[in-house]
Order: sequence, then C-alpha cells, then structure tokens
Amino acid sequence: MAYGTVSADIIQSSVQGVSLGAGNASIMKNRIINGAMVIDQRNAGASVTANDGVFPVDRFSFSMTQSSKGTGQQNQGSVTPPVGFSNYLGFTSSSAYSVLSSDQFAIRQYIEGFNTADLGFGTANAKTITLSFQVYSSLTGTFGGALQNNAANRSYPFTYSIPVANTWTSVSITVAGDTTGTWVGATNGIGLRVFLSLGMGSTSSGTAGAWAGANYQSATGATSVVGTNGATFYITGVQLEVGSSATGFEYRQYGQELALCQRYYQYAGNGTSGTVLYGFPGNASSNFRVLQVNMPVAMRTAPTVTYTSSGAGTFGTFYADTNFFNALSNAGNTTSDNNIYGYKASAEL
Amino acid sequence: MYKLLVNPMTGQPAPFILRVADNAYIPMDEANTDYQAYLKWLEAGNTPLPADTGA
Repeated sequence: MAYGTVSADIIQSSVQGVSLGAGNASIMKNRIINGAMVIDQRNAGASVTANDGVFPVDRFSFSMTQSSKGTGQQNQGSVTPPVGFSNYLGFTSSSAYSVLSSDQFAIRQYIEGFNTADLGFGTANAKTITLSFQVYSSLTGTFGGALQNNAANRSYPFTYSIPVANTWTSVSITVAGDTTGTWVGATNGIGLRVFLSLGMGSTSSGTAGAWAGANYQSATGATSVVGTNGATFYITGVQLEVGSSATGFEYRQYGQELALCQRYYQYAGNGTSGTVLYGFPGNASSNFRVLQVNMPVAMRTAPTVTYTSSGAGTFGTFYADTNFFNALSNAGNTTSDNNIYGYKASAEL
Repeated sequence: MYKLLVNPMTGQPAPFILRVADNAYIPMDEANTDYQAYLKWLEAGNTPLPADTGA
C-alpha cells in the first residue's frame, strides 16, 4: 500500500513496509487485559485455592468443576520470569486427580464484547487472530486450550507443545475467525472466552484446529496438569491480536493496566481498622446515613459490593451504577460510630 | 442462599439481592454475573429469604 492508504483497519505509515492497524496496531493490539500478570488487586501476590471463579490475578480466573485440586498465585514458585517480564501466573496441582468425563479445569479470561466486536466473528469478514503466551511447566507434552463464544456453542480447541520441563516456552496459535455462529458484538457481554486447560474431561474436549458447534474448552488428548500431584503450570505474556502471526507483547503502563482491570474489579481500603474510609457518626437522630462512593474507573456494569465495617449498625447498598454506589448505614447505632474500613466492587464477566 | 432487601428509608423493595454467604449486595442488573447466578438459582427452584420488615 502507498503511504497514507487506508484499507478498512490498516493504514500504511510513512515508513516503507510498515503499516498501522490489524497485527501492527499501536494501541489495543492485545485484547487480553493483564496479560503480563502485573495486577493482583484481590490477593496482592498471596496464594489462593484454585476453585471455580477464583481470580489468582486480575482478569484471569479458574474454571474448575472440582474444588481444591490446586493453588494459584502471582509468581508462584519464584522462578525467573521470561525475558521482558516481571510477573507470571502460577498453578500447582495438589493431588493426582483422575479427570472425569464431565470435568473442566482451566485458566480462563473472558474478553468483553466491546473489545472483540471488530474481529467480526460470526460474519463472512471474520478476522484471523493469533493467541500467544509464554508457558513453563514441570510436565512436558501436548497441552490444550480453546476459544469460545458467549453462548458456549462455538469453540475452537487448539494444542501446543511444551517440549522441555521447567523452561519457558513461547507459544503461538493462529486461528481463522469463525464465520458462523452467534457472537456478541459491541456490548458489555462476553465477546470471546479464552481457555488454557489444566485438565479437561472428554465431554469438553474436541478436535484441535477447527471450529465446532460445541462447548469445548480444550483439545482431545491434551495433558492433564491436575493429574500429577505437585505439577506446575505457569504462564505470562498472554496476547490475543489480529493477524496471522504473533508480534511483540504489548506492554502497558502500570496505571493504564490497573485502570483496565478496575473496569471489572476494584476496591478501596485494606479492610482493617487503621483505614477508616467512611465514618457514620453515632448519637444522631436519624437511623440512616448515606454516602455516595464515586469509583475511580467506570465499571462494566453496576457492581456487586461487599463491605468491611464495624459498629452495631448494618451496612448496605441501595443504589449502584457503573461509576458510583450509595453506601447505607442502617438500623442506627446511636451510641457509637459505624465505620466502613473498605469495600470491594465486582463487575466481572 | 440469598435474601431479599427493602430500602429501609422508603420501605420499598430494594433493587438488590443480598448473597448471605459473604454479605454481597448484588444489583438487579442482568449484565451483572452475580445476578445472573441468582436468576439461575431461582430457576433451579430455590426461594430467597424474605426481606426484613420495618427495618
């Protein structure tokens, strides 16, 4: 293309042979949030039991049909991250579990529809995408994962190899976009699910390398990490981009990455009495006091809110929007103060 | 287990559900995944605890 030519989502730059957009996008290249595993608002680096729905770092959660089959943690095991990275997400199996046909064990990220709509999945103009990441495991062999739509009725299982144990391996998987099926467009729903399997039953495993009208979260025959007691599985540098080849990881400034994560989860206060976020004074004539909490980043949807608090009164929320909620002190404690030490707001996909 | 809520200032049903296990206030917003889980829980034939009256 000649300089300045605009072709759909690609613009030719003034440097010969260099274009912007598609796989060379200068912004929003990586549709994965927190792919470098830098942000861990919930746990601050502490270990968590890898139960279903638990987030070991921001935006990455476990998909687990059985409880307590392992632990997850930012920088688990304290191995040296791959060059260019300071953090990774680790999973360690805590038993030698034989996966049942209906079982699902995976690390997943759900990408919001606003961030995938341009991929055109479900249309004749579906774009080719590439998923890349760095992986490290005590096991070797063929591992699996899958891409999936919101309705879980379109899936693309894939495989990748880890040839050497306890060594970071670069993985790249290119997927021709799905031209059929129903995919969430530019909404705040789930635009694309990404699964990296830790062990998958036969019901949720399909043939690698092709779109299928099924709920698959991995490829048939992939290695089961939960099947070996003490087995480790670490990942970082996760990137999903437009194009047929993996390009360099899109690093983001810390504040930018944190803000992206806060669209889905945010908190204030550490929940101890030393950090009184909001004080509701006692000895007041009214039993009810209300405080509007303005959140630093507008959330994906009205969030679920939990409080850490003290005092005889109870706390609640009687209104919440994407960028604020109202905290309520109820059933008045008229002799002492009621305090909120912290809140957590979740609007995860 | 979930519990219905009323706005104690107005006495009207609150647009929130209380998840009893962790005292989480879940807005009745169909895009909220916790509310989606509550709806599935209802579909399974479960019934939430009634709201406190006169609170």
